[in-house]
Amino acid sequence: MKSMVFITGASGGLGKAFAVECASRGWDLFLTDISETALSKLSTGLTNTYNIDVDHFCCDLTDFDSRTGLFEHLHEKGYAFSFLINVAGLDYEGPFAERTRNQIRTILRLNIEANLEMTHELIKLRDPARTFRIINVASLAAFYPMPVKAMYSSSKRFLLNFSRALGEELRSQDITVTALCPAGMPTTPACIEAIEAQGFAGRITTCNVGYVAAGTIDRALRGKSVYIPGTLNRMLKAVSTIVPEALVARAVGSRWSAAQCKRAAGA
Amino acid sequence: MGSENITNNPNHTKAIIEPEMRCLTANEEKVIVITGATSGIGLATVKEMAGRGAYVIGAGRSEERCRNAEQEVRKLYPDASVNYLTADLSSLAEVSALASNIRSRLSRDGKSAIDALVNNAGTVSSWYVSTVDGFELQFAVNHLAPFLLTHELLPLLERSQDGTVICISSGSHYRTRLHWNDIMLRKHYNTLMAYKQTKLANVMFVTELNRRLSAAGSRIKAFAVDPGLVNTDIGLKGTGGIVKKVWQLRSKGGTPPEQPARSVAYLVTEPAPRHTGQVYWKDCRPLKPSAYSRKPDAAKKLWELSERMCGIKAGSRGAGY
Repeated sequence: MKSMVFITGASGGLGKAFAVECASRGWDLFLTDISETALSKLSTGLTNTYNIDVDHFCCDLTDFDSRTGLFEHLHEKGYAFSFLINVAGLDYEGPFAERTRNQIRTILRLNIEANLEMTHELIKLRDPARTFRIINVASLAAFYPMPVKAMYSSSKRFLLNFSRALGEELRSQDITVTALCPAGMPTTPACIEAIEAQGFAGRITTCNVGYVAAGTIDRALRGKSVYIPGTLNRMLKAVSTIVPEALVARAVGSRWSAAQCKRAAGA
Repeated sequence: MGSENITNNPNHTKAIIEPEMRCLTANEEKVIVITGATSGIGLATVKEMAGRGAYVIGAGRSEERCRNAEQEVRKLYPDASVNYLTADLSSLAEVSALASNIRSRLSRDGKSAIDALVNNAGTVSSWYVSTVDGFELQFAVNHLAPFLLTHELLPLLERSQDGTVICISSGSHYRTRLHWNDIMLRKHYNTLMAYKQTKLANVMFVTELNRRLSAAGSRIKAFAVDPGLVNTDIGLKGTGGIVKKVWQLRSKGGTPPEQPARSVAYLVTEPAPRHTGQVYWKDCRPLKPSAYSRKPDAAKKLWELSERMCGIKAGSRGAGY
């Protein structure tokens, strides 16, 4: 059996872009997400267009039992994997004090717990004959403390640190770990609205999702540990490393609250 | 291709630029399906055809806009047979569902054939957005949806004495080509390049459809209509920044959408264009489409790719091709 590429959050904007990118390279896919309808439509489209094998399994990654069901399915089928792309993640933007307990739990479970567990289990299912490549979708937000997105940016910081550490740890076992750190991407009408609300700054830091997916796969194949798409975004990251963190937090905070005001006014 | 210098002959042009527009008599009532029928060229075409006494099914994405459009048409023509159906044409499953809704609506109303299908719905997107099926949004809505809907409705078009398929293309199909190694421009997306490509794909689809239909001995004819620069808001939906501003400026200088609607009506109701062998029409007269659109091998390749993308088994539908 040919080894497959495993993608979480596969029917979201970036997940779909990764699925299409891998399919266009002729790789067989295993997709998971929370909506069965979305997964089956995407699987059909990819199978028809690229003549590859696609299997999917509907799973709520925030739920322990649902994840167990997914792992059992993988063992039953006897699949082997050469790629794991952890895309699933979410953000509850807005003042921290206004978040609910449920939101706090969900963001931790999806952005952190699910990612760690997927990585842990998929390593066991790697195709021993090939290099195993892991891509974790972090964010440009991982480099800054971000007011109004405090939980999100911290969870992405966690993923960035985890990826770097794990990559080093697994180097000798022919496993590479790449953290993708993109700026906002125009994947859904809501994201597009958010980018437009940031005005010119939003538009110039934005990269198209197809370009990001293709670039990330190329980097992962070269074993690169961190990939920031977009020259301007790389420069922003470079600036953030020499400016004191407190100042960065203040600058980011004023920009985001301005964008929030603009969106609220437009709504 | 037939006569090459049609556009250079002023007398010929004059003769057909103002074609006689007549109302349809009761026993030649046409059945017409128009997508993107809630605004712009689509709505103008619905009005034009309803005014001539045709039976019209319009399709739109939003239920509310469909209701409003239907009321607007009924206000103009209280006795018109106008029905609206909703479908999001970015999803192939919804395109197929629309086709089956059209079939059941027609059989409810005692209609056994479709005389014309007008693939008008089109979109512009500033960003690379992928659809539920994993295709780029403009490619899916502007090319794959017309391709699949036409396939689905061919059997009903075949039952008409003079079945007509029309795609609203654009002069922007000139000076471009299909980027075969990345046809949906995933890696280097550019709004205008993606749009132009889909409008070229419309002309190629229509050309190849004619080729296949006539080889199969079908009466159906397919045309692409160049609407010119029309004052609609296509460039304002799903775009922002420069694209939005440029379109706001440009479209002000454009013609009203009634003009391309008249071209569509002309192609649907008059027998003359069917015998010209011409596929690309603007202001009721034929123009020569781009050289690229006339490459038979490219059109065949696009057809086969589109069949695969839509999950159509070759030769499974329509007139045996």
